[in-house]
Amino acid sequence: MTTVVVGSNLLGDLLSGPRPAEWASLREAAELRLAGRELPTTSDEDWKYTDLKALAGIAFGPAPRATVDISGYLLPEMVGTRQVFVNGRHAPHASCASAVPAGVRFFPMSAASEACHSLGTVGNGAAKSLFEDLNTARFEDGAVILVPKNLKVALPLHLLFITEAEAPAAVFPRVLVVLERGAELELVEEHHGTGTYLSCPMVEIRVAEGALLRHERVQREGPESFHLGTLKAEVAKGGQYHSRTLSFGARLSRQQPWVRLAEGAAATLDGLALLDGHQVADTHSFLHHAEPHATSHQLHKCIVDGQARAIFNGQIRVAPGAQGTDAKQQSRNLLLSGSARVDTKPQLEIYADDVKCSHGATVGQLDPDELFYLQSRGLNADDARNLLTYGFAADVFTRIPVASLRRVLRHLVMARTQATSLGDLS
Amino acid sequence: MLSIKNLTASVNGTPVLKGIDLEIKAGEIHAIMGPNGSGKSTLGKVLVGHPAYEVTGGEVLYEGRNLFEMEADARARAGIFMGFQHPIEVPGVSNAAFLRLAYNKKAEAEGREELDPLEFDDFIHEKIKLVAMKEEFLDRSLNEGFSGGEKKRNEILQMAVLEPRLAILDELDSGLDIDALRVLGDAVNQLQRPDRALLIITHFPRILETIQPQFVHVLSGGRILKSAGKELALELEERGYDWVLEEAAAGGLR
Ligand SMILES: Nc1ncnc2c1ncn2[C@@H]1O[C@H](COP(=O)(O)OP(=O)(O)O)[C@@H](O)[C@H]1O
Ligand SMILES: [Mg+2]
Repeated sequence: MTTVVVGSNLLGDLLSGPRPAEWASLREAAELRLAGRELPTTSDEDWKYTDLKALAGIAFGPAPRATVDISGYLLPEMVGTRQVFVNGRHAPHASCASAVPAGVRFFPMSAASEACHSLGTVGNGAAKSLFEDLNTARFEDGAVILVPKNLKVALPLHLLFITEAEAPAAVFPRVLVVLERGAELELVEEHHGTGTYLSCPMVEIRVAEGALLRHERVQREGPESFHLGTLKAEVAKGGQYHSRTLSFGARLSRQQPWVRLAEGAAATLDGLALLDGHQVADTHSFLHHAEPHATSHQLHKCIVDGQARAIFNGQIRVAPGAQGTDAKQQSRNLLLSGSARVDTKPQLEIYADDVKCSHGATVGQLDPDELFYLQSRGLNADDARNLLTYGFAADVFTRIPVASLRRVLRHLVMARTQATSLGDLS
Repeated sequence: MLSIKNLTASVNGTPVLKGIDLEIKAGEIHAIMGPNGSGKSTLGKVLVGHPAYEVTGGEVLYEGRNLFEMEADARARAGIFMGFQHPIEVPGVSNAAFLRLAYNKKAEAEGREELDPLEFDDFIHEKIKLVAMKEEFLDRSLNEGFSGGEKKRNEILQMAVLEPRLAILDELDSGLDIDALRVLGDAVNQLQRPDRALLIITHFPRILETIQPQFVHVLSGGRILKSAGKELALELEERGYDWVLEEAAAGGLR
């Protein structure tokens, strides 16, 4: 048997293109770290269940310029607060920031590079993943969002990343969000696409003291795509970061959120993956309770059908001295077919003694008591099952404040859980 | 309407109901009382087809049909309803959507017109007045995070929406304060008609002051030990259950 040197070409190919001119030193540093590295394989503990072999066999070129019709992606609350990126580049004609409140900076990086001085600085204490470095080395453009002190932004902001690949292509979406002290923002980040492509987004977030960021992340990449995303967030004293990541698309996806909480900070890191066919969706999260009295909640749900596979690895670290930490993690998984598979693992590292940490994982079928309850109200067994499956997923997004996004998700999830015949479930 | 003959049932192989006979006619209100663990909830759940309970003998006719040949959902659509002692929480399914769905499934089965969301909105607003429920509970997930009393209120709301012919209400008063109990009791009374029947399951006689039964049965050890008129409820309130058990033992019942 020959050992496949997975990805030795892939990284070289991805890096062979020209290095964009901006942020040269950041990029050089990333390239240096990448030199000699190879794609992880399943013998890597961190990638044990997520096999990148299929990725390694594809020659991804640079993504060409393209224009797309975005009318299907527009959400009414955010028509005037949107930035659109197509194939990794800003799409000025598809974007519209006319309703962005004064004081908020919401630009493509290419137009506001001076505002990006904290780029590449979030989570610098932590090791950089290969895909984060790849992004840094090759991203073309991205979005920068700066909200000044105490400004509570009334309208949500919309970030749309769309990839249209006629030939295999790689894109590296980049986002930098900085909330100054006491600022508040709701951000919706979406990823869509068609064709065979690799998307390696990197999102950096700084939430200053007492600031609050709500972040809805929707991954609806095309069925032949790969999505390998990194997110790093630092939440300062008393700040809050609440996110939901909803994964629907891609043949293989991985979400790697890393969140550091300072004293009294709060984070929500909820997730939903709805999978069928041969899809693989992996979430490797890291919640770092670095200082005392921070709270974190993590509800991760997967519905897995066909021969699909979901992976969840939820690492929580409570640093020495982080007394009064309150961390709650739940991994709930619904298997809809005999060949679907879930691997879920909590990973708690607790170095303080006065803490409240709980975690739980369930893998299984629908609860018979819930089924009976619905049947006792006249729903037949199929309807009851479909409604509960829908509800299992909807539980993660029913509290999204943007009504139109909720509606889109509702319809999407209803279609995927055979609940469409049940009528309007709002 | 409902005719129960020598019904026996077990849970996990343990017999719980040991020969129940009960006749309920349209227009009647019956109360089943008895000590904790006597099998009251089991009787109700057997009647609505809960899968955890196995019917081991006897027969139940509902409007002339063999009840045990009907699935739980078919029984519901045929007009049987149980308000549960411990209603289940269903995250992600909005209360309003669920109520509309349940209503429309029943309407469909009865050949009545289904209601679209706007029509249902008007309909449900009348119903929540009846049970004095705050509107916000319609938008919340079904029973999720509801207090014990709020769940009971929601059960009666479901009853008001489905307008069952036979309603079985299990420990309606648990978790309810006096005012809420009166409101829900009045609602149940308003829903009662000559062509409908009620089976009230309760450990405490308190609720029977509002919902007044014509027949009271004492269930203990899986058997009905005594049946009488509503005066029995008052007697049980004053004297407790022990004397009924002793009387039955002395009478050598079975
Ligand atoms: N699902 C169940 N699993 C195991 N035991 C049960 C279950 N339901 C009822 N039982 C048992 O059956 C008996 C009667 O219970 P129940 O009908 O709930 O009584 P009641 O409602 O009169 O208090 C009790 O001994 C109870 O423990
Ligand atoms: Mg009971």
